[in-house]
Amino acid sequence: MKNPLRKRLLPELKGELGKYLALFVMFTLFIGLISGFLVADGSMIKAYNEGFTKYNIEDGHFRTDKPLNKAQRKNITELGVTIYDLLYVEERMTNDSNMRIYPNRSEVNLVCLMEGELPTGSDEIAIDRMYADNNKLVVGDTLENEEGRIYKISGLVALPDYSCLYEKNSDTMFDAQKFGVAIVSPDAFAGYRSEFLYNNYAWKYDVPPQDEKEAKDQNAEFLKEVNDIIHLKDFLARQDNLAITFTGTDMGGDRAMMMILLYMFIGIMAFVFAITSKNTIFKESTVIGTLLASGYTRGELVRHYMTMPVLVTIVSALIGNILGYTGFKNFCAGMYYGSYSLPTYVTVWSAEAFLLTTVIPIAIMVAINYVILSKNLRMSPLKFIRNDFAKKRKHKALPLNAHIPFFTRFQLRVIMQNMSNYLMIAVGVLFANLLLMFGLALPVILNDYSDQLQNNMLAQYQYILNYPTIDENDSKLDLIMMWMEYQNAMQTENEDAEKFSAYSLKSQEKDVIVEDITLYGVQPDSRYVKLAIPEGTVAISSAYAEKYSKDVGDTITLKETYEDDIYTFTVGQIYDYSGAIAIFMYQEDLNTTFDLGEDTFVGYFSNSEITDIAQENIGTVIDLTALTKVSRQLETSMGSMMYLVDGFAVIIFMLLIYLLSKIIIEKNAQAISMTKILGYYNGEISRLYVNATSLVVVLCMVLSIPLDNMFLDYIYWAMMRIRISGWLPYHLSLSVIIEMLVLGIGTYAIVALLEYRKIRKVPMDMALKNVE
Amino acid sequence: MREDFLAIHEIRKSFGAGDSKVEVLKGIDLDIAQGEFCVLLGPSGSGKSTLLNIIGGIDRPDSGEIIVNGERMADMKEKKLTQYRRKHLGYIFQMYNLIPNLTVRENIEVGAYLGDNPLSVDELLGTLGLYEHQKKLPNQLSGGQQQRCAIGRAIVKNPDILLCDEPTGALDYNTSKEILKLIETVNQKYGNTVIMVTHNDAIKDMADRVVKLRDGMIRKNIINETKTPADALEW
Repeated sequence: MKNPLRKRLLPELKGELGKYLALFVMFTLFIGLISGFLVADGSMIKAYNEGFTKYNIEDGHFRTDKPLNKAQRKNITELGVTIYDLLYVEERMTNDSNMRIYPNRSEVNLVCLMEGELPTGSDEIAIDRMYADNNKLVVGDTLENEEGRIYKISGLVALPDYSCLYEKNSDTMFDAQKFGVAIVSPDAFAGYRSEFLYNNYAWKYDVPPQDEKEAKDQNAEFLKEVNDIIHLKDFLARQDNLAITFTGTDMGGDRAMMMILLYMFIGIMAFVFAITSKNTIFKESTVIGTLLASGYTRGELVRHYMTMPVLVTIVSALIGNILGYTGFKNFCAGMYYGSYSLPTYVTVWSAEAFLLTTVIPIAIMVAINYVILSKNLRMSPLKFIRNDFAKKRKHKALPLNAHIPFFTRFQLRVIMQNMSNYLMIAVGVLFANLLLMFGLALPVILNDYSDQLQNNMLAQYQYILNYPTIDENDSKLDLIMMWMEYQNAMQTENEDAEKFSAYSLKSQEKDVIVEDITLYGVQPDSRYVKLAIPEGTVAISSAYAEKYSKDVGDTITLKETYEDDIYTFTVGQIYDYSGAIAIFMYQEDLNTTFDLGEDTFVGYFSNSEITDIAQENIGTVIDLTALTKVSRQLETSMGSMMYLVDGFAVIIFMLLIYLLSKIIIEKNAQAISMTKILGYYNGEISRLYVNATSLVVVLCMVLSIPLDNMFLDYIYWAMMRIRISGWLPYHLSLSVIIEMLVLGIGTYAIVALLEYRKIRKVPMDMALKNVE
Repeated sequence: MREDFLAIHEIRKSFGAGDSKVEVLKGIDLDIAQGEFCVLLGPSGSGKSTLLNIIGGIDRPDSGEIIVNGERMADMKEKKLTQYRRKHLGYIFQMYNLIPNLTVRENIEVGAYLGDNPLSVDELLGTLGLYEHQKKLPNQLSGGQQQRCAIGRAIVKNPDILLCDEPTGALDYNTSKEILKLIETVNQKYGNTVIMVTHNDAIKDMADRVVKLRDGMIRKNIINETKTPADALEW
């Protein structure tokens, strides 16, 4: 005969619908989200990794000032590589963006067509899918360059060497709105004027490196040798190319973050289960006693009381996984597609996702319930029948001054009685608020960064000039003439303009992303950078100081970009500038340190636009738009994720508090019923029981803000150091705090209302039941 | 004593529906005077607890009416009924129903909060013999002490009617007598009307009025001319 206790399961589900619904929603959402993320992430990482072979991604590329001649090509090939032309042109488009245009590729960095068709006609172009999304362009639209040439968009593509749209490798962040890549047909490309072509070449090693270290050595060796053959304008090995590698690193990082989130959630849920299981025993005490007295074994009862929570978890895991593989996966993949120019992917089943989101939560649910139920079912049947939980007998009441108002004392007793629940509420609020703070603070940080920079720029414009190209074959006279010409061409009448020199070195801090550090050489009486540094020291930007935790007196070690030379500087001043990780010294010192020649300068600081230097002589203009590239991109790529995080935090917050406060009311149902009999109004009873919870929740919310701020500050700092070039200063604005409190209190108000309803529903005959 | 402080007319109450419908009270008529000590006596299922709950405003009758101090209970809405319990009633149960996380003193204060002119809690603690136990939680007390605490909670607001549902049902002989003595003292000292449900026949001797119920009907309604003090009761 089947166990008749099974018949209790459905009524139990109905009776505890609120609890099981909350558990179901929490589990389903979380399992769905994590599983969706892991599946999307796993599938996309797989597609990304396979892409190296599938799309024959380069081992690196270099750029020369003149096209390679046959001899050079032959000499380089003899170094053990195959060279591929990867020429391109750059055009300024009318939508205020830069477009890098390649001919369609047939050998290396092959194109993945995402939508439409590859370009065939002379006016056709296939543009990067993400650039198209960000600029709201679709197949069939037209795109015009500043010279008036109109392209018809034939298709949307992903170029594997631009999975992340970094315009320059030294950029703090990619900007898929202001920079895009595109392909045209080889015939159309042949039509571009040769003087506008960038002589870019990709290479692939004949014997590919086996690992990262071998690749590094091989790249260094190749750089040295190729540098002897040609004059390099740019050299970028695949391992150092952010446009290729950043996506993989970022996806790995997101995964780590999601894992932490998952473990935290599982930990919280484990405690919630422990509390709900204990509550079940408390509530069912007389039933348990009767069943035990009737001859049911503890094992049978443990299994019985485990069935429903485990069933709910299994159903949640099932539905969560279905959601994960459908809607949530697409949502998560969409987030990646919103950030990266990834090729198409095929969904792959993830054993890990299944294990983490299904097997582990179910196992935890089984384990926690089993342990708690087994442990707490050891009492004698009689004690269960009498609701006599022996341990409690030993508890003494904490003395409370009789002068404290009665209601306050009552509420304090409720808090003391439910410490474990309130502790969980505190942990839950801390966790949910951390998520909420992250979701709310990041957009504000990004937004405020632009405003902050506006008042904190070195100058409204920084012009970096183009150096003349030097050919070793040119005669000395030619070189002198060219230099003089350059000197003339680079002069300006603009009175705001102030010359500066600059140099770029690589950072080399342990466990921090390798990034380009700009060293500025400024004039001693500069109007734009007012240095006050002791001799032999340098000033570092406040961004530098914050990111690398440097202070006055510390030393900084940096490395030459393509060489092994190491430079050490002593910090003499922290210069208030958050726009870049930069070092400031006097121009003369910089020129001497790097053998640049006494009068050398690379550009101008200016508060007004310089109009008397030809455009082709200006390499880069650093203005507010350029400096805020990082915040803009983060805003674009993480915007939707932030809403998700906010929503998720609110749901977790609400469900957790609902579940735990519901237990508090259930635990006190008998007392609530009694107070009703005595003549307490529902409002008064709510004041006693709901206000205690409200007090704890509000207190937890308020206290969690500085704590979460501390955690987030650290997490943010660590994340920025590992993942992001440049620096966005962290701060928690008052508006975020207010928003958090309003959202928190608003959400809790809903829970409090549900609690009030529950109190109203407690019947008076509950207190009478144990009379019989 | 004023007559007809509590007037009960033709009270009927049934539970269940259809074939399983059971009529628990089959037309109860009863008048209780103010300050009277009334014992409702009867075997299990006789309807005495149901009657007590209806008088206490916890349950509603199917028909009939109860008039308390001139007010018809049937006219009272939920809030008014709460107010009635709050102002006029004190409740004592067999299983004490103390609030487990409150101390003895605080449990009594739960009752004191509801009264307009509550008795002094300190004085009452002394009267109940609980002064030295006032900081203890209910589960640190014996059954008798818990019941004394419950009596304290019920009488601290000095209610007009004290409803006692088998107050000695879970207690031993000596403790039961002690509790009965206490209720008797309360009745005499404060003049509250006491309605006590019991199936212990011996208790009837300490009452002013004895109402015997069986099968939902009053079988006997006797005025006790010669009361026996609780102390002298034997069973």
